[in-house]
This record gives sequence, structure tokens and C-alpha cells, in this order.
Amino acid sequence: MQKINAVAPVIALLMFLAACGGNSSNQNSTDSTGTVDVSKLKGSTLNILCWEGYADAAFTKEFEDKYGVTVKGTYFGSSDELVSKLQNGGGEAYDLISPSSDVAGYIVMNDFAAPIDPKAITQWDSLSPQLRNMNDVMKDGKSYGMPFTWGPDYLIYDADVVKTEPTSWKVFEDPQYKGKVALWDDISNIYLIGQMQGLDKTDKAALYNMTDGQLNSAKAELIKMKPQIRKYWATAGELDNMFKNKEVALAVGWPLTIANLTKEGRNLKAVIPSEGATGWIDRLMITSGSKNKQLAQLYLDYVSQPENMAKVLAVTNYNVANPGSVRYLTDDQKKIADASQFFDKLNFWQMVKERKKYNEIWNEVKSAQ
Amino acid sequence: MQSWFKKYSLLLPLVVWLLLFLVLPYLYILIQSFYTTDSFGKTIPGFSIDSYQRAFSNSLYIGTVFRTLMYAVIVAFICIFISLPLAYFIAFKVKKNKTLLYTLIALPFWVSYIVRAYAWKIILGREGLLNEFLMWTGITKEPVEYFLYSTFSTIVCLVYILTPFVAIPVYTAFEQIPKSLIEAAKDLGAGSFTTFRKVIFPLALPGIISGGTFALVLTMGDFLAPLLLGGPNTLFISNIIQNLFGTSNDRPLGSAIGMLILLLIFLILQLAAHYEKKYSSLKSDTR
Repeated sequence: MQKINAVAPVIALLMFLAACGGNSSNQNSTDSTGTVDVSKLKGSTLNILCWEGYADAAFTKEFEDKYGVTVKGTYFGSSDELVSKLQNGGGEAYDLISPSSDVAGYIVMNDFAAPIDPKAITQWDSLSPQLRNMNDVMKDGKSYGMPFTWGPDYLIYDADVVKTEPTSWKVFEDPQYKGKVALWDDISNIYLIGQMQGLDKTDKAALYNMTDGQLNSAKAELIKMKPQIRKYWATAGELDNMFKNKEVALAVGWPLTIANLTKEGRNLKAVIPSEGATGWIDRLMITSGSKNKQLAQLYLDYVSQPENMAKVLAVTNYNVANPGSVRYLTDDQKKIADASQFFDKLNFWQMVKERKKYNEIWNEVKSAQ
Repeated sequence: MQSWFKKYSLLLPLVVWLLLFLVLPYLYILIQSFYTTDSFGKTIPGFSIDSYQRAFSNSLYIGTVFRTLMYAVIVAFICIFISLPLAYFIAFKVKKNKTLLYTLIALPFWVSYIVRAYAWKIILGREGLLNEFLMWTGITKEPVEYFLYSTFSTIVCLVYILTPFVAIPVYTAFEQIPKSLIEAAKDLGAGSFTTFRKVIFPLALPGIISGGTFALVLTMGDFLAPLLLGGPNTLFISNIIQNLFGTSNDRPLGSAIGMLILLLIFLILQLAAHYEKKYSSLKSDTR
């Protein structure tokens, strides 16, 4: 109760300030949210807790200018980090989050997210139905997540060092590349080993429900792989730097790294090896604790417009949820967008029930000498 | 009552501060260490010693505590080894500009830890300064990869960061040694080394112990150096705690390990204080 008492005057003050500042209203913003007086939002800040690249100025700037607001992105490095932040009260500090398919369901289940009003998102019906209709973020007939992007966990290689295109993840074990491999500091490495062992041939969910025996075998494989590893990267930016400084030649990574290093003039390539690859579907969600739900909803409407989705693709090289964005893409970018055939090749992250155990196994791998 | 209040009222701000920001948080961690969690890390209040059992039964936790302690001892000894000649030089050999040299030791504190850790990446990297130099001189043909992203680079960084913490108390200890004792030793025919071994070192031992303890304790709690500069095999206990709180979301287990380390640090500090007292032979030391 005390907390509310302390906060209430601050909110009242903010509302007063917002009301004063709103006089220079720009009434030309005729959004779908017809009843909303957007001028009241002026000066507020939209806090987004997201994967790297999801709050890039390339597409947030226009939104900021349009409504006179600030978009502030904070990056998280793993799904677990996001969940941990939400559990420790982060839902009040952030308005939007970008969970992947492995924790999205959990976030909805635990009421960390607020339902989305599809009517307020003009492009809702144009978003890929395949993504829109996934039921993991549906509760009581309401949707809690707007499809945003999806993509693979690629095998990335420096084509100046690795001359022939790798066909298998086993290239990570090639003695030729000892100390030249970077893995992500995340439990997804356990999925990777499962995939190398062919566990998901018949049932894709097998990677996310591994038995104790399978987990121990994955642990042994990952420990065996350690001499090959230069570093377990914690953020995409760290991986970019390692490729830039030629510390590594092979890695598990996201298209973002290719996008960034290509801009640096480096010859990085990516491939989905014969065993397949895992992938992720990222949704944007409004946190249940957000004090800016209206602004967050406006942002969802804005960022799902085809031209803005195209900008997201240009920054990240990720596939975006609005197929209409194709019109705004260059030929190279179209190749990325035209990945309909590889959507089926990917094994998209699912919720791991024994997440704690997976995490412990991963820590044991890291601590093994 | 009046005088009692007057005497201790000066301490009041500190006591409030410590209570709010030290005692209560530790108490909370202690309580939390007996909780349990669901698979996604939501804490469930209760009383269970499950976390302590897991901490002791899995070598991931207890083993890493002791391995970190080993690294901490190594770091402390290297720091002492570097600090002794450095402090000796400033205390006994330098006649002018002592203050300047003393300030230079503390100078690195003005730069943020992260920046200094990143600097080591630039120095030790595959295409870093050290490798470029070694290849230029022809000492090595290929870049030495072990320099960066290894336990070696982590220890180098920690030694660099923590040496001032050791050098300053050692220097202070040297300064407190009465010059007359050193002169007496020389008069009695002892060479520089014998004087150092038999007079200076024993007298400065309390300062050396307290400096070494600083390095030891701070290494035990460091997670940034192994995170930024460590390799696939470098994992300090603080990294595991950070992971348990920030990633695996097992706060009870993180709290339990935190309590164990706290206990271990208390023990180390007690031991250090004991030996500092035991070896203090100068009047200024016997407080």
C-alpha cells in the first residue's frame, strides 16, 4: 500500500505535465485508434526489453518523431535472462518484450503479458497466418503476442578460412578448426547435440524433452567438444567482435551477425547443415505491468506495417511476420524473405519443461576441466 | 544515558546504512536459500535444505568454490610477488617524488574496470599487440591463442586490477619500519638481502597478509574478468551465482552458495586477522 501512496502523486504530476505538453497536438495522426488522444502520449518513453537489433533506430526513429516519444531498447542475451528479469519485477520497468517460442507460452501462462487487441493493429490480418494462429500465446481466446520475426540458429562460417561450405555440424569437431569455434552460452547447445544425434528425426519435440540418458550423452559430447571452442559468446555483439578480430571461424549464430559483418566488408556465410537447425519465432508482447499499454499498442501497429517490417529485416536479416514487406525489399533482401521452403526445415524452439535441469547440465559443461 | 547517546549518535547514520543495505539483504538471502523453485524458477517459500544439499553434492558448485579459491590464492601470491619489489623500491630506494610514485600505483583506479578488462582483449588477442610483437620479433610464428579467452588471461587481468590493493598496504608497512632497525642490521654486517629477509620482511608481514587477503577476497567475488576474458574452461563461482540468479533462475541455490562463500570469506578474514596480529612486532602494529 505504501508503494502506491508514494507513486500516486508522481503519476498525477506526470499526467499533469503530459496534459500541459499536449497542447501543441498534431492532429494529423489518424490512426486506427481513433478514440485515443495521442497528443497525451507526448514525452513518454516506451521501454522495450528485446533481443539485440529489435530496437534499432532505423525503424524506431520515425515512431519517435511521429508521437514525440522516446523508444528505449534494452537487450537481453538469452531467454532465461528475459524470464528472470520478468520474475524479478521487470514487467513494470518494460512495456514491450520480445520472447522467443521457448518461453512465450510460459510468459503468457504466468500473466507476465497483457492481451493484445488485434483490432488496433491494422495489419493483423496480413501477418503470416501460420505464425498468427500458433496457439502457444493464446489464452481464453485472446492473443498475447504479435508475430514479429523468425529465423534459424545458423552454422556461421568465415568463408575466408573455411573454404568449402560445411555440410554437417560435425565440422565443429574437425581438428583443423581447433580453438576456432564459438558456441552460444545457452542451453540451446544441448538441442544442437540432440540434433546432431538425430533425436528429432521423427519427433521435433524430442530436443526439448530429452531423457536423463540423452542429456548426459549431450553433456559428454559438449565436454568432448571443448578443446575446439574458443569462447561461449554471451551476446550477439560479442560474437560479431570475435569474427571481426578473427578469433573464430565457425559459430552458431543468427543472421544478424552476417548482416553486421557484411557491412564491415567481411566474407561471412551461413548454412543449415544436413542435420537441420533449430530456429525461433519471436513475438512482441505488452507486459502486464506496463504503464504505457496504449503507446505499446500503437508501436505494435506501427512496426507491423509492411514498410517498417522491411526495415526490421534490413537491420537484422531475420524473416519478418508481414509478407507484405516484400514490396519494400532489395533483391538480396528478397532472398532472405523468400525462405518459405526453409521454414519447414527448422525445428523451432519449444518450451522445455525441465529447464532447470538443462541449465544445470549446461553449467556442468562449462565447469568441466 | 545522555553521554552514551552523545558518544554513539555519531555512528547512527552508518548503523542505519549497514542495517538497510547490508544486514537486511544478507538476511533476505539467508531466508531465500531455504526456499525452493519450480522449473522456471518461480520461488516457492518454505523451509528446505535442498539447495544446500545440491550445493554440496554436485562438484559443479562445491568444486568450483574450491577451484576459485585456488585461483584466488594464485592471484594473491602473484600480486604479493610483484608488490614486494615495487613497494621496496618506492619505500627505500626513491628519495624524491615518493608521493608521485605512490599516486601512480593508484592511478588505474581512475579508469573503469570494464574498460581495463577490454584493454586486455586488445593486448592479448589473436591480432593483439602482444602477438603482433612476438611475431614481429620472430619469437613465435603463429599467434599464441592461449593468451586470450583462457584462465591465463583471466589471471593476468585480475593481477593487474588487484596489484594496487596489495602494493599500497605493503608500502605502508615498509614505511612504518623504523630506519634505525635497518641501519642496525647493516651495521651488524647483514647484506641487503639478509636485511630484507630477516628484518624488513618479518616486520612488514602484517601488511603483506592484509594486502594478500584483499586480493584473495576480491578474486573470490569477481565475475567480470572470467566473463570477458575467460575461455570455455574458465568458470568462477561468481559466474555460477550470477548465472543462477540471472539465467537459470534458481535463486534459492544461488543464495545458498552465496551464504557458503560468505562463510568462507569470513573464515579467511578471521585467519588473516589472527596472523596479522601474531606477526605484528612493531609498536605501531599492536593496536
